[in-house]
Amino acid sequence: MSPSLLNSLLMLPALVLLAIVFAWPLLDSAWLSSQASSVLTGLSPIANDGANWQRLLGDARFWQDAAVTLRFAAVSVGLELLLGLAMALVLHRPGRGRGWLRALALLPWALPTTVLALGWRWIYNDPYGPLNAILRAFGAPPYGFLTTPATTWLFTVLADVWKTTPFVALLLLAGLQSIPAELEENLVLEGARPGQILRRLTLPLLKPWISLAVLFRLAQALGVFDLVQVLTRGGPAGSTESLALYAYLNAMRFLDFGYSATVVIATFLLLVLLTAIGWLLLVRRPLEASR
Amino acid sequence: MRSLLLLWSLAPLAWQLYTSLVTPEALVNGSGVAAGSFWTLENYRQVWLADPPIWRYLLNSAVVGGATTALTLTLAVPCAYGLQRQGGRLRWAVTLALLATAIFPTVLLFLALLQLARALGLANNLLALSLPYAALCLPLAVLLLRAAFAELPAELEDAARLEGLNLPRRLRHVLLPLLAPSLASTAILVFLFSWNEYPIALTWISRPELLTLPPAIARIAGSSLFTVPYGAFAAATVLGSLPLLLIVLIFQRSIVSGLTQGAIKG
Repeated sequence: MSPSLLNSLLMLPALVLLAIVFAWPLLDSAWLSSQASSVLTGLSPIANDGANWQRLLGDARFWQDAAVTLRFAAVSVGLELLLGLAMALVLHRPGRGRGWLRALALLPWALPTTVLALGWRWIYNDPYGPLNAILRAFGAPPYGFLTTPATTWLFTVLADVWKTTPFVALLLLAGLQSIPAELEENLVLEGARPGQILRRLTLPLLKPWISLAVLFRLAQALGVFDLVQVLTRGGPAGSTESLALYAYLNAMRFLDFGYSATVVIATFLLLVLLTAIGWLLLVRRPLEASR
Repeated sequence: MRSLLLLWSLAPLAWQLYTSLVTPEALVNGSGVAAGSFWTLENYRQVWLADPPIWRYLLNSAVVGGATTALTLTLAVPCAYGLQRQGGRLRWAVTLALLATAIFPTVLLFLALLQLARALGLANNLLALSLPYAALCLPLAVLLLRAAFAELPAELEDAARLEGLNLPRRLRHVLLPLLAPSLASTAILVFLFSWNEYPIALTWISRPELLTLPPAIARIAGSSLFTVPYGAFAAATVLGSLPLLLIVLIFQRSIVSGLTQGAIKG
């Protein structure tokens, strides 16, 4: 047996399972988005000439959810990057108990999102949660963190930032560890201040890891589901409903599988478009510039 | 800086621990409650004796996590080995596919996977749940293990081949023992993923006694938005987090090095 054939055979089982779980669902949902399949059709698919897609174009709720999801992704990924960098720099500094520090800092990322979302619901509780207790201590009236449509999205962002910043920090820590210590020592000998070292050495060399973290977090944030489903259930007044939650509700609550599939595929296309733009901006251009 | 970081990471968790250990009156009135009726284990008793009890969910999550980890490693090791030995276009294409699937938000797969589960009769089956879970973990597992295989000197395997060892024996007796740290950190990451996965468990499992921890917690949370027994919740949160807390604290070195090494060499 030729080595190449053997290698392919070794990879085959994993690739088949990947195809069944990733490729087939996308193809199936793409097909289903061209079908009417709801309680009205007895849940059996009937071709409906793109009616789902026409409905999507005029569906104000879909476009609002798209805007909510984009805003959530942009703000939370931006904050996670800034805080993740700060956290990675702290975790990178040598010192006693660094291993424990890393483990404890990593904890929010390792725990289930639904469990933490429930915890945050209690922290945001009006009027008994600790945040309102702090407000009370300063003589301020209680605030409806999860019941004020204009601002609730900010608190979903905060919970997400708290949960996923450790992951970004871990990726950036990997980058920091790959930078030879001598480079920094040389700059210190030249009299560079910490801010200059960060700008001239650390950030440029960290760029590949920053790009990786942004692409990964962007894709995950555009699919945000667990957090909003448990923390706000999309509310108040739909102000935090994400695209994934809308797709889920269409299938599981409104029992409209055809339209749910349409929302899934539309979200997927948006995701591909945005990660492709991110890829071109973050990965391709620096590569070409470095030539 | 370090204490600020610890405060940020741990304060919300500490609040849960506190909530789980005090009476409802203490939560509402703070220190104005008589000393004797402040601390309590009642919340823990409540979730431990609930129907189904919390340990049932923990057990379900552990079963799915174990099966997923075993299945993922069984598929990922040969795939990573083949990918590392393979050159040219195929290697490039497979690596690209693995990267794309690794960042993919898995919630977008729930609808089609649900239909698949119904068609094949896989719903309400904990072991069947490990099939999609293994697939969702495979991209990361293969990428991490391929990086680990790349670290091993090629002469090592050549020597074993000259000794007349066939591939399964070379893997079992020569290569995998050397990869033990990478296998361990990959296994931990897979287990963490499986323990935390929500949308697929939510749609595949409907029988209460088969729920894994995340949908079980969300289901209690969904029972009412306003009159929520936060003490009992916090107790469930603490018990559900405890196994992971232990894993992270015991294996922190392999988790951190596993992810960072994988990212550096990948």
